[in-house]
Amino acid sequence: MAGLVTTFGAGAMTNSIPEIRDAEFLFVIGSNTSEAHPIIAMEMKRAVARGATMVVADPRRIWMTTIADRHLMLRPGTDVWLLNAMANVIISEGLTDPEFIERNTEQFEDVVAAVAEYTPEQAEIITGVPAEDIRRTARQYATTEKAGIYYTLGITEHSHGTDNVYALSNLVLMTGHLGKPSAGLNPLRGQNNVQGANDAGASPVFYPGYQRVDDPAAQAKYEQLWGTKLSPEPGMNLNVMMKAVGDQIRGLFVMGEDILLSEPNVKRLEEGMNGLEFLVLQDLFLNETARFADVILPAACFVEKDGTFTNSDRRVQLVRKGVEPPPGALADWEILKRLANAVGMSWSYEHPREIYREMAQSVPNFAGISHERISERNDGLQWPCLDDEHPGTKFLHEGGVLRGKGQFQAVQYRPSYELADDDYSLLLSTGRTLYHYNAATQTRRAPGLHAKQPEPFIEIHPKDARRRGIAHGDWVSVTTRRGQVECRAIVSRQVRRGCIWMPLHYAEARANLLTVDAGDPVTQTAEYKVCAAEVVKLRDGDGANTFPGSFYAAGGPGVVATPAE
Amino acid sequence: MSDDGDSTITVNGKAVALEPNDTLLSAARRAGATIPTLCHDERLKPVGACRSCLVEVEGQRRLVPSCLTKAEPGASVVTDNARIRRHQSVLMALYLADNVDAAATDDTADASELHELAEHVGAPLDWPRLETIREQRSIDRNPYIEFRADRCISCARCTRYCDEVESVSAITLAGRGSATTIATADQVSLMDSTCEMCGGCIAVCPTGAMTEKRPLLQLLKPATQLKKVRTTCNYCGVGCQLDLNVDEAANEGRGQVVKITSPEPGTMPNDGNLCVKGRFAYNFVDHEDRLTTPLIRNADGSYREAPWDEALAYAAKGLLGVKERHGADALGFVSSSRCTMEENYLVQKLARAAFGTNNCHQCAAT
Repeated sequence: MAGLVTTFGAGAMTNSIPEIRDAEFLFVIGSNTSEAHPIIAMEMKRAVARGATMVVADPRRIWMTTIADRHLMLRPGTDVWLLNAMANVIISEGLTDPEFIERNTEQFEDVVAAVAEYTPEQAEIITGVPAEDIRRTARQYATTEKAGIYYTLGITEHSHGTDNVYALSNLVLMTGHLGKPSAGLNPLRGQNNVQGANDAGASPVFYPGYQRVDDPAAQAKYEQLWGTKLSPEPGMNLNVMMKAVGDQIRGLFVMGEDILLSEPNVKRLEEGMNGLEFLVLQDLFLNETARFADVILPAACFVEKDGTFTNSDRRVQLVRKGVEPPPGALADWEILKRLANAVGMSWSYEHPREIYREMAQSVPNFAGISHERISERNDGLQWPCLDDEHPGTKFLHEGGVLRGKGQFQAVQYRPSYELADDDYSLLLSTGRTLYHYNAATQTRRAPGLHAKQPEPFIEIHPKDARRRGIAHGDWVSVTTRRGQVECRAIVSRQVRRGCIWMPLHYAEARANLLTVDAGDPVTQTAEYKVCAAEVVKLRDGDGANTFPGSFYAAGGPGVVATPAE
Repeated sequence: MSDDGDSTITVNGKAVALEPNDTLLSAARRAGATIPTLCHDERLKPVGACRSCLVEVEGQRRLVPSCLTKAEPGASVVTDNARIRRHQSVLMALYLADNVDAAATDDTADASELHELAEHVGAPLDWPRLETIREQRSIDRNPYIEFRADRCISCARCTRYCDEVESVSAITLAGRGSATTIATADQVSLMDSTCEMCGGCIAVCPTGAMTEKRPLLQLLKPATQLKKVRTTCNYCGVGCQLDLNVDEAANEGRGQVVKITSPEPGTMPNDGNLCVKGRFAYNFVDHEDRLTTPLIRNADGSYREAPWDEALAYAAKGLLGVKERHGADALGFVSSSRCTMEENYLVQKLARAAFGTNNCHQCAAT
């Protein structure tokens, strides 16, 4: 979010999801699209079936690599090397768009200087991706008109996540792949309302619509709207806040997140929680965090309330109430209203549409959006939407970069916070699977999904497994400097040698006991994707065919395509 | 009319301007003609398998499948006359002879397009029935998707969807002639195949041959007795539109989501597609673990149930107490990208306006 705001002036997908099918070149990096965003993957599959070229950059062999023209299987955390080397090729072979650079950007010369050292041959040594593959990818990207980049948390969940986003932005700006249909830079959002939560100002530095809290004009606007004095001091972002729990942070209000499952290095957080004086929790179910709560408020789920979600392509869509909540539970907005009134406010909202109206009138980009307008359409409304007549915006930056000038940001490679060493010789990445979702409080209550993936597991390369005496299906212990969990081992060539991968969904094997909380210096987003780990066999598996039909399992469909070593 | 024959065709005597890649079907539908289809789906390559969409083209002796025939400028097309109606009626009667009674498809809770169409074209319903010889995948331990061979008409919408849209090719047409059936490789369970349980096969099936297991077990009411509520999926950030199928009388009148179905193709952003989570992972809504009363922690660490007013007053007092003792910035507000826009707005307003701190964030700001 922060990266794209800096470079382009808006932190969102520049294209629309329906434009993906018309793309001619798709560069998918750090996105396990078919599992994390199956519907967007369908659009990509359609583009490829139509003849588009797809290149996937990912440390793992994921489903998308089976239909990609090329798989750049880079070492975890070496994205900046790969991307700067692509920039190096594009510049040195004269494939930039000089007119676009001149008219729409600034500080290109910084990037020219910065990437000079990043030759494809050098990049091959660091990333493990053949130099020729880097060259061909860079050339295809630069010379294809409708070339889109798609990324997810494999780019951002690093201690150099913002650098990764800058490096991608540089590629976009130097080739002019912006402000056109099917060509742009597209972060695919992981939760239903990531975009909306940020748009709505659930941020320590922004009021709604990315208006800074330390901007006196914005402060004055909201002081008038809300009728009270406001603080101009930027607040703590989540990672900093979690580290301060029990110390500077003594009281916590948590809505709809199981922080003790989802935040990195949870062991330290748990210790901090003991120092909390008061914790209010608002959720559907009791969860790990509930053990520390002083008050738990039962909330309604999405089928039981009205409101809006804003999706990845900036599309504000209605959430419609289909059924009443269970007796005793209330919609989150109603709870918030009553809590506010209990601390002396006088909020009188009778329906979420009134809340949306209040917010939209304070943000020019949302001014034309209302529940009433969306309900008359079947495809939502995409911001910017400036007034009641405005049709919404399918792709951004059409009349020039929103920021005014696109900002090139030269970046230099910085290694991940923690790398493999003698004690912890494997690199652990974490992620999502098709069959579960985040803390899995919802999906593990679905019998079919549970049947498909009932147990926590890691994927480990056959050579790494053999050296440790681990057979497919064995129970193993995964240890890092922060914690230890037990799970099943899937011996699979889907992961690189020296790398292991683990899903984050299982409360009994919390991946976030293992992860580091080292944050990106700009966003403080934690490095969920790289840390050093070791795996030890605990006991034999029971010989069961673990996860039959799983793309990644040994003998699963995905392994067939894997070349022998 | 002949003047602009370069860019138009005539449908039932009415001129229609052609668009790129128009078929007779797409041009005729734009002209307002009603052409029945069974194997057609906007998302799939046309195959002309079901023969429902045959039309008459001037100068051609035989009826032609409109879904498969490119619209050539100047063509003159008739979509409805006695010959076409007789064809449709006989065709539907033949399909029904190899199918089940309309009443028997009620349990799928979606009206069978085949039976609706048969009724629409006035097909005779009293032709002798054939014993189906399609192979049934009798034991499939997958939890969601059921194949009922006796209802299949081999239109292949499901297998083409599985190939062309979901691209996992888990199911395929197998066998020949009237034994043609929908199979997996070696007839293994979908659980053991490449199937990702998106349920697209259920959504595209026009006869109820591909159907959902769970509601069957729950004696689902017919579609006409369920209310469809269009909403936005609560899982990933794609924002798929989906339809809650609500039994309004269930749960003591609170209503119950008994099924989730896809909207029409063309409904964006998902074009009517859903994934396994969006279509099937809704059991949590009625799960017994749902919290139904506020809880306040006792001194000994146990919880007691509390009325809302008391719980809210207690929460307010607790948070205000921290503010008094340590200042507003000792409070942190964790909002949620799982909740609505409006709720996120209220959390930050609560933090800022009611408590005076900007310590407000959520897990999704990368």
